[in-house]
Amino acid sequence: MAILTIIIGSVLGILLGFLIPTIPYSASKYLAIAIVAALDSVFGGIASSIKKNFDLKVFISGFFVNAIIAMLLTYLGQRLNVDIYLAAIIVFVGRMFNNLGIIRRYYLDKISQNFSKGKHK
Amino acid sequence: MKDKKIGISLGIICFILALALTLQIRTMTIENSIVSQTFANDELKDNLLQWKEKYEKAVEQLDESNKQLDVIRKSATTNASDAEQKTSKIKENNMLLGLTNVEGEGVVIELADGKSSSLVLDASNLLIHDGNLREIINELANAGAEAIEINGQRIVNSTYITCAGNVILVNGEKISSPCTIKAIGQQERIVRSSRKSRGNTTST
Repeated sequence: MAILTIIIGSVLGILLGFLIPTIPYSASKYLAIAIVAALDSVFGGIASSIKKNFDLKVFISGFFVNAIIAMLLTYLGQRLNVDIYLAAIIVFVGRMFNNLGIIRRYYLDKISQNFSKGKHK
Repeated sequence: MKDKKIGISLGIICFILALALTLQIRTMTIENSIVSQTFANDELKDNLLQWKEKYEKAVEQLDESNKQLDVIRKSATTNASDAEQKTSKIKENNMLLGLTNVEGEGVVIELADGKSSSLVLDASNLLIHDGNLREIINELANAGAEAIEINGQRIVNSTYITCAGNVILVNGEKISSPCTIKAIGQQERIVRSSRKSRGNTTST
């Protein structure tokens, strides 16, 4: 169920993304930072579901609030002439790698367990 | 039930993420096709792209303004009847001010100094004076003359007729006997009014 909706949602999103007109260049900076924040949320969601403490409310609120706050920070940075979005990117990407590490270890454990099971047989 | 909820929300989030990613990638491909990706100076590239955006906005504004101009022009042409009335009024006023040529029926008055004779005590009475011309012109204007000229000098609002030695100045031009006064207007009316009033034309 979850995988099916993920695939459908992704395909629809890509199709719609090709249909609607492109955004202006000055807005693309904000969209980029929002994408990074959203990606971080998605990886965080996957990691938490592996750790069995996935909460839908936390996930969805994190997805939107992170993206919006990242955009606001970028805007503030542009106003203050400080590249605040760099800090946001560092935090988000750092967390993304942490979560990726959790996911990787989980699947590595699973594979190695399967492997040892197969050996015992 | 909970699984369904999670599945749908995950689908929505993936939809948003995929949409944003595709949009961003498309935008950046277009922008990078304008500025080569090997462009070393990021700030310059940024500036260039921002100027390009401003330019596009300006072009849009120009289009909008042109449309507005079209609308204004259209509304202006619908007021054509009003404008026609105004132009006819302007023509009329110009005629009164002596700015345009006037054609039509009228009268021609010729004046000349009187011939000297021993019977006349004061020789000045025989001559045409500026006052005589002024009286005639006033008389003609009162009789409804649309345009008056004296020896080719059009009588307009600012015209002055003065005496300067043995000549008369009309609009600063010297005039002397004989004078030809041309007036355009209803012939009959002018002639009749000149007879009714003591007739300056006959007294000189």
